[in-house]
Amino acid sequence: MADPVSSFDVSRREFLEGTGAVALAAVAAVPALGADELPSVPHTAIQVTINGVKQKIDVEDRWTMVEMLRDGLGLTGTKIGCDRGECGACTVLLDGKPVYSCSNLAVWADGRSIQTVEGLAKGDKLDPLQQAFIDHDAPQCGFCTAGQLMSAKALLNNNPHPTADEVRAAMTGNICRCSNYNRYVEAVMSVSGARA
Amino acid sequence: MNTLKTVGISTTRIDTLQRVTGKAQYTNDVKLPGMLYAKILRSPHPHARIRSIDTSKALAMPGVKAVLTNENCKVIWGAGSIAGGVQYSDEIKKITKQHRYAFNNPVRFAGEPVAAVAAVNRHIAEEALLKIHVEYEPLPFVLDQEDAMKPDAPQIWPEGNLALSNRNEAVPMGQKRGNVQDAFAKSDQVFEDRFSTAFVHNAQMEPRSAVAHWEGDHLTLYTPTGGIANCRTDMARDLGIGQDKVRVISQYMGGNFGNKNQNQDADLIAAMLAKQTGAPVKLELSRKEDYIGMHGRWPTTQYYKVGVSKDGAIQGIQLRGYSGMGPYRKNSGAMAGVELYEVANVETSIHPVYTNKTVSGNFRGPEFPQGYFGMQSMTDEVCANLKMDPVDFVLKNMTRKPGGGAKYTDYSLEECVKRGASEFEWAKRWKKVPGSDPGAIKRGAGMSFMAFRSGLGRSDAVITVNAQGKYTVHVGVTDVGAGAKSTMWMIAAEELGVPLSQVDVMWGDTDHCPYSVGESGSRTTIMTGGAVVEAARDLKKQIAAKGMPAGTAMLTATVSANPRLPEGLVRSAFAAHYVEVEVDAELGRIKVLKYLAVHDCGRIINPLTAHGQIHGGVLMGIGMALHEDLIYDKRSGTALTAGYYGARVLTHRDAPKIDVIFIENDDGYGPYGAKSIGEAGKVPAVAAVGNAVANAIGHRMKDLPITRDKVIAVMA
Amino acid sequence: MKTFSNVNARDAKQAVALSQQARKDGKTPAFTGGGSDLLGMVKERIITPDVLVHLRGMKGFDQIEQRGGGLEIGGQVTLDTISHHPLIRSRYAVLAEAAETVATPQIRNVGTLAGNVSQRPWCWYYRNGFPCFKAGGNTCFSIAGENQFHAIFGGGPSFIVHPSDTAPALVALNATFKIAGPGGDRTVAASDFFVLPKQNAAHENILKDDEFLASVHLPAPRPGTRSTYHKIMDREAWTHAVVSAAIVLEMDHDICRSARIVLGGVAPVPWHVPGAEKLLVGQKITPELIAKVAEVSIAGANPLAKNAYKVPLTRNTVKRTLTELTGLTG
Repeated sequence: MADPVSSFDVSRREFLEGTGAVALAAVAAVPALGADELPSVPHTAIQVTINGVKQKIDVEDRWTMVEMLRDGLGLTGTKIGCDRGECGACTVLLDGKPVYSCSNLAVWADGRSIQTVEGLAKGDKLDPLQQAFIDHDAPQCGFCTAGQLMSAKALLNNNPHPTADEVRAAMTGNICRCSNYNRYVEAVMSVSGARA
Repeated sequence: MNTLKTVGISTTRIDTLQRVTGKAQYTNDVKLPGMLYAKILRSPHPHARIRSIDTSKALAMPGVKAVLTNENCKVIWGAGSIAGGVQYSDEIKKITKQHRYAFNNPVRFAGEPVAAVAAVNRHIAEEALLKIHVEYEPLPFVLDQEDAMKPDAPQIWPEGNLALSNRNEAVPMGQKRGNVQDAFAKSDQVFEDRFSTAFVHNAQMEPRSAVAHWEGDHLTLYTPTGGIANCRTDMARDLGIGQDKVRVISQYMGGNFGNKNQNQDADLIAAMLAKQTGAPVKLELSRKEDYIGMHGRWPTTQYYKVGVSKDGAIQGIQLRGYSGMGPYRKNSGAMAGVELYEVANVETSIHPVYTNKTVSGNFRGPEFPQGYFGMQSMTDEVCANLKMDPVDFVLKNMTRKPGGGAKYTDYSLEECVKRGASEFEWAKRWKKVPGSDPGAIKRGAGMSFMAFRSGLGRSDAVITVNAQGKYTVHVGVTDVGAGAKSTMWMIAAEELGVPLSQVDVMWGDTDHCPYSVGESGSRTTIMTGGAVVEAARDLKKQIAAKGMPAGTAMLTATVSANPRLPEGLVRSAFAAHYVEVEVDAELGRIKVLKYLAVHDCGRIINPLTAHGQIHGGVLMGIGMALHEDLIYDKRSGTALTAGYYGARVLTHRDAPKIDVIFIENDDGYGPYGAKSIGEAGKVPAVAAVGNAVANAIGHRMKDLPITRDKVIAVMA
Repeated sequence: MKTFSNVNARDAKQAVALSQQARKDGKTPAFTGGGSDLLGMVKERIITPDVLVHLRGMKGFDQIEQRGGGLEIGGQVTLDTISHHPLIRSRYAVLAEAAETVATPQIRNVGTLAGNVSQRPWCWYYRNGFPCFKAGGNTCFSIAGENQFHAIFGGGPSFIVHPSDTAPALVALNATFKIAGPGGDRTVAASDFFVLPKQNAAHENILKDDEFLASVHLPAPRPGTRSTYHKIMDREAWTHAVVSAAIVLEMDHDICRSARIVLGGVAPVPWHVPGAEKLLVGQKITPELIAKVAEVSIAGANPLAKNAYKVPLTRNTVKRTLTELTGLTG
């Protein structure tokens, strides 16, 4: 049991910014505004190669890579699980290396290449990892799957025959709350075996 | 068991392709023309009266379209409060004294919604939250469920802190059988102890979001719900519109794990913002909001008294328990475990208690993992005192009949326990003298067992067939990750006697699917699967009578199945778990070395997906046993460990190999004898891990999670 | 996220100038390397920069070069590169091992050495937006609050622990840091880079406005040097150190010529334990001596209400690390 800490109440973050009681304003929807009436925010034209295709795109400086991918380019296969670099659902390959696309700005991808889950299959032909994920029933809910795939892909690109511990180490930045970890590792190992 | 052509054969899911290619559309992937983005302002206080809210500065911001507060939005979120463990209904809504609104005043937990903003993009919506000025009058608060029952505790509701039932009754839940006092007097030894479990969260990978869109008076809601039918009912009731005016779509969902078989406040808020702005609205919650604004497993404090005779037969069990419900009683707050034993004398009294923490709700085996941890830690400790092998103790005392003169439809618990002990090499791994390994590295083994409801119940299914011989199964399931859609697909193919390639499934959309019980309570395979069997049989009869349809004609079978078990029968899934751990007594590290889960889930429809259900449940149980805890700062009443980092959710590197054995039986009920499975893996896991740690170190760890600091405190 | 602009710096001089210019314009600048942690703090509005000066593109700052028998590591070299670099692995194992324990592969692929060394505390009060010393306030909420992970050494008035894994390794290796700033470069010993809260409660190091950690110099290891990093985590990946030990020994056969023991996770700075080191110098290392060294390494520990377990944990971590490093069995 505790009493409220009064010093804590008013100083905490901007939530409580402002002073004193103010008479309640009429609460209603304001008339629609066109996007052009919004205050301008810093934005930058960048060039980025996405799944092998060079693109020019104008991004707000504050956009994360995953915002650019999902909202800007409609590549919604990459998911946002935590938006804080804690879960790995947003993992993409930046110049071949797995990164959290929620924790990098889109402008930082200027001149670089990004591979997302949408770039794994060649037309209708699945990447062997995708097929292994299907065969081993690695995804349950599937929300972490794109991230798991991208981390596994980067691993196998550099180390085609990893041990199970190496697989776990490479994928440890990808949480699966369905906790189908056993199956994910089996699936990746089966691909490395197929290449052996 | 007879062999079947499709059921029982490992089958890759009907929709994994969509999941591995990024094509599966989850709620947040939905983007509608002119769509606005919404964010919620949440209370920083665990208990406060809102004196005033000034939204004028937020509304004046370019791009802000609407702000909702409890001043201009009085919607009651029915399913958010007095459900008391049953599905919320019109009747409950009428009689309940304790309403939960979408926006409440006073606010009763840190993280409770105070206002919501819709704006042209998420950044503006977020900035607008900072411009809302709220004047709070902080009120005294209480976080712990036992503290909240003390006479001088701050009162969260006028009716007191003992949570009301849906009949407005403030009485503890409990049962009384025989006479425990007499039993204790006659016992050779009586043991008493206290156990506690922590506040842990679903933490499904998909953070909550909702997209609401009105066309005239017709609402379309995209939302991650495991029960589209119940969600629709709830939305219609809360908004005061007909069910025919609500369409709920949830086709892919990033994990469930409980408490999503209804609508959420986020759904209502999105719908109200969309109504007010006349535009589609997408509401997005952050991961932190998903922890502090939604619900977790109710934390518990459990006091046991157990009397035993010299030979280890339990004479009586008494349990007094406290469950922290948060300030609204979304679910029961019960504790399971006592019913596992065949005991003549039982007395339980379980208090669902209001606190100023985030609301508790159903989470994968709502009352089980925490109740089992307390009960089976207690009995394991009794074994240790009696110097009795826990396997022998369990075999002596475990349920063999469900009580009240009833019988199980079939019974395999003894087989689960014995098979597990043998395959696990229990005798070799379990330490006769707990903590007897010399040196800092200590190994030990623990076990636990389970009897888990597997009842029958209502669900609907529709199957059509066209002239091309294409069968389409319409079922109101969402695929939350457990593979329900594939299960329905396989059951339909089996019963129709056609290959899977001739069967398609329509799911996850109330405009195209009949009622389903919803994916909670491990019921979908049994209930919706049962309806699919009935519909397939009906369709086959029609085909036999009329022949296959020709041209553009179709045949349709519509079934609303509501099977009941014959009087005196109880249907249960059973399991026994065995685990070996290694504890580094100097560094406080606990490592799971070996895990075996033996389960009777009846007939396994799809072995490929069934194993994953057990794996996932067990690993979540290990996380609950060893890591997860939403820790609160006691002075401010706010949570400190919201999120995957803070809660130490298991990673790839933390996950041991889980061995699973299924003991398959067909009891003649459910589709082909299938029983519940979704929650089963988690239910006994926490207790097994706790018992293994105690066996390794020779100290009973009574408070979850069993973290390093607690291990070192007793060992180093 | 709040609005800000991003500018990519070409070189150190420009980076400093961009930061200074922002300040002149009444804006708040922030340097960013990998940016993972920084963006998290911006999203939580723990910090509210208007201008991000991005350092990853600066020429030469992502290089590892042999210099004067030692090694010069650019501040923008990633943790992943450090953990795999053959020369670092063979000669400065403690640093490679420390880098490898940071967070996850995704973070190590962008996270930089300078960023890891300069990162802000992960105290849950600071990270949850409490107005503590680290946020410019005048309270440490951990003292009377939840302090399971807080300091047992050097605390007061703030009881944060320094979150970096590479920092104890660098102090143990006697590294020197080159700092870029308005007055040009300056060089300090790694151990002088970090400051206790009693010197500066708001900040963990000597970096002033418009300064950043440019590079790190590691002196040539003496013959017979061996080193290692041992990190205690609350799950097997992606937590900061509950306790860690960075140990560098210079061995002449079985005699220890010199020793550096620096602890992580226990103090607001990398915690150097010279008293424990002294016991080792000139001695043959035995299990008995290791036990003594471990005991001395916790001298002066002053735990709070909920972190007393860290005292035996620290002792046992030092014992375990030394035992493994010297190939003795406990």
